[in-house]
Amino acid sequence: MDSISPFLFSSFWDSGEPSFPREGSFDYPVVEIMASSHGNSTHSESAKTEQIITEFFAKSLHIILESRSPFVSSRNFSGEQALSSPSSSSSSSSSVRPRDKWFNLALGECPSALENLDLWRQSNFEPMVVDVILVKRGLSRNQSLKENSNPYGSDHEELLCGREEKVIERWIVQYDTRRPRETGSTSRRSSSNVLHTLYKKSILLLRSLYATARLLPAYKIFRDLNCSGKLRPFTLTHRLSSFAEPFTRKEEAEMQRFSFTPVETSSGRLCLSVLYHSSVSDASSESSTPMSPQFIPDYVGSPLADPLKRFTSLPVSSPSSLPFSRRHSWSYDRYRASPPAAFSPSPTHSEPPAANALQFGPVNLPPQYPDSSSIHKTNYGYDEYYPSPNFTPSPSPSPPVYMHGNHLSNAALLRTESAPVCIPKLKLNLQPSLPMNDNIRPLRGSKVDTSTGLPHTGVSVEKLIVKDDPKKHSGTKISTISSLQFSFSRSSSRSFHDDFDDSDFPCHFDVEDDDPTCHGSRPESFDQKAHLGDQLDPQGGGIFPIRKSQDAAVGALVRMLKKAPPLRQELSSSNIDSTHVSSTQAEQPPDTSSSILVASKTTADALEELQGYKRMKDYLLSQGGGKCNVAGICK
Amino acid sequence: MNCEVCQLKELEVEHFEIREVLRCILHTIVFHRALGLVRPKVIDLELFDITYVQCGDGELEKKIDEKIEQFISWVEKHPNKKSQVCISFYEVKNKHPSWFTNKTERLYWEQWYINLNVSQQQKVHSGKSHPSKIVVDPGGNSLEERSARRAALETSLREVLFQIIKFVNEKKDHVPPISDGVVYFPYEVTIPRWILSLIHEI
Repeated sequence: MDSISPFLFSSFWDSGEPSFPREGSFDYPVVEIMASSHGNSTHSESAKTEQIITEFFAKSLHIILESRSPFVSSRNFSGEQALSSPSSSSSSSSSVRPRDKWFNLALGECPSALENLDLWRQSNFEPMVVDVILVKRGLSRNQSLKENSNPYGSDHEELLCGREEKVIERWIVQYDTRRPRETGSTSRRSSSNVLHTLYKKSILLLRSLYATARLLPAYKIFRDLNCSGKLRPFTLTHRLSSFAEPFTRKEEAEMQRFSFTPVETSSGRLCLSVLYHSSVSDASSESSTPMSPQFIPDYVGSPLADPLKRFTSLPVSSPSSLPFSRRHSWSYDRYRASPPAAFSPSPTHSEPPAANALQFGPVNLPPQYPDSSSIHKTNYGYDEYYPSPNFTPSPSPSPPVYMHGNHLSNAALLRTESAPVCIPKLKLNLQPSLPMNDNIRPLRGSKVDTSTGLPHTGVSVEKLIVKDDPKKHSGTKISTISSLQFSFSRSSSRSFHDDFDDSDFPCHFDVEDDDPTCHGSRPESFDQKAHLGDQLDPQGGGIFPIRKSQDAAVGALVRMLKKAPPLRQELSSSNIDSTHVSSTQAEQPPDTSSSILVASKTTADALEELQGYKRMKDYLLSQGGGKCNVAGICK
Repeated sequence: MNCEVCQLKELEVEHFEIREVLRCILHTIVFHRALGLVRPKVIDLELFDITYVQCGDGELEKKIDEKIEQFISWVEKHPNKKSQVCISFYEVKNKHPSWFTNKTERLYWEQWYINLNVSQQQKVHSGKSHPSKIVVDPGGNSLEERSARRAALETSLREVLFQIIKFVNEKKDHVPPISDGVVYFPYEVTIPRWILSLIHEI
């Protein structure tokens, strides 16, 4: 070797150690390289270049797997690392295995997959393609809980056995020798310089790989799987191959590419790039099939009800639990995990990153449902009030105090003031497109067809409501929200039935089981429409007690409905309703909710009801918006 | 050797966010410039859903935290101004020590400017708080605004980190050779105060 100032690089090879204990098989041990270094310098340079490239592949795979393959990484991220001081090379070198010192990045134990790498790799001239696969375990009978580590397994979604796989990232490491550098420039530089530069640049490249791997969306999934003790219905696996099975055009359109700057060598370029799903929530939820029978139980179950209850009963000063309860219900919903207990809102404070690791990218509630398109359309009934599924433009679950989701929820809620009037439109649109759902508890003991579609919107609507910061409410909003909630959630909350067991009217609205104020308010609330109107009347600009707000109002509505004459018999019932409405209107202007009669039993009934609503709406609009804050936006 | 300068995208931060943001950025930069043997340590931010990498060196952490504290106290004295933190890497060139001087010369080969716009709507008592404790104000601002601002800051911070990574990738030639046994290139963290006035005048 030329006598140049001791580079770390050269010392690596010229160290006094006779040989490095190397794992895996190499074509030539280091000792041989050193022995041959006395020979032809070009040969030695190319040999060493080869070795650097080989180690580069190994190291990059190690970095990728360490941050993507759960349970294989043995890195301990605790404070132990802080104790080791790599600046004192003696202590660190003794504790760092020689192979780990490559590229000056000590990563610790090799993942098990890496051990196979040396056996698998034939040459440096084949690309190394690492696919990171998100495996969702379905809820069907045939679900398989084994990780699929078949290296040449199919990439296709296995819907039939309830297991879906989606490639969320593809890393490609290759040594591109198609464009060799002109040898003229290299000959001028000493080989050790060349090698040193190559080594230095690969170090830089691997550093940026290490940092990038933790900034991409898939890392959050990995972190969630690795750090959280909770059972998840999905997992990450990887696949190593020499060829990149091309993505479908659709898949590729969803992916973004990040390419690291290649490192030039004398005989080629070392290239590293990654194709990744920028929003993994889309990737993981997009392939979901319409498993509607399983949707509803999850939706109806407690995790969704609980956040709602919890939310409304929380004191204003501690909003911190709200985002977690929200997010859990969402992520829970997204992956359709059955055990609600795993997502109870309260214990989630302690592990925000893990618990909310799923909240990456735009959080999309409706899109995961099969009829999301219809939901979107229907939402446009009050479209600008409903900021599509993107409640949270950016996931930031960790801040315990601030709910950025609140911003949107408030914004959304601010715009939903006219909701009751728009409800009929929504219902109408939903009806034809959605299947019947047997799981929905019918009102008055019979099926409610119209409600089949509602859970979907109900989900989003409830969540819309859940996210709402009660502090921000005016009574106006509360009343409208309660009506919103009323229409949408009536079919969807099994837990709401608890308080009405004795009645023949399974009320879906009494969410406030554990809310004493609401309990208290229910008896006071209003068996009569007039009282209901009072409660809902946003007098004084929203003096509505927050705790009683939505649920009490809803409960009041329900009571009112119980007293209301059934729609079944008469076609003219809607007329009666509208006249009833008008009479009520005379006394209480914003009494729209009193006229909402939900007890329809067939589609036809519901349609009649709808017409009644339309008439009401027209009436209200004709009455003028001044009296009716509820319909304010409909002005 | 030319000096490469990287101006990072400006970030609007609130007072209590400075520490985390600066730690994240400074450590990321140093991690990419500590080309000696390191054992990386991965840190999850508390205020944002971002994970960054440290060199796993307690000494380095202390030094950087000290600099951040200096910056914070400086910002408290000069509130509501755009400010910069500059981290510069240099080579020490020993001039031949003559009999009357033994100066060493610093040859800067890289400078990073972290641009911050610290908004101080509320006065936060920062002091020497525990690194993990984040002082949060009950806001005079509405929560919506804060959440939106926080989300925007997270996005911008992520962009800044990618900006660092891209810069590190694209510009490699100016990095000096690695010396044996040395982990970090010599660096210094400064607060270029005089730049403030210039920026303000623009």
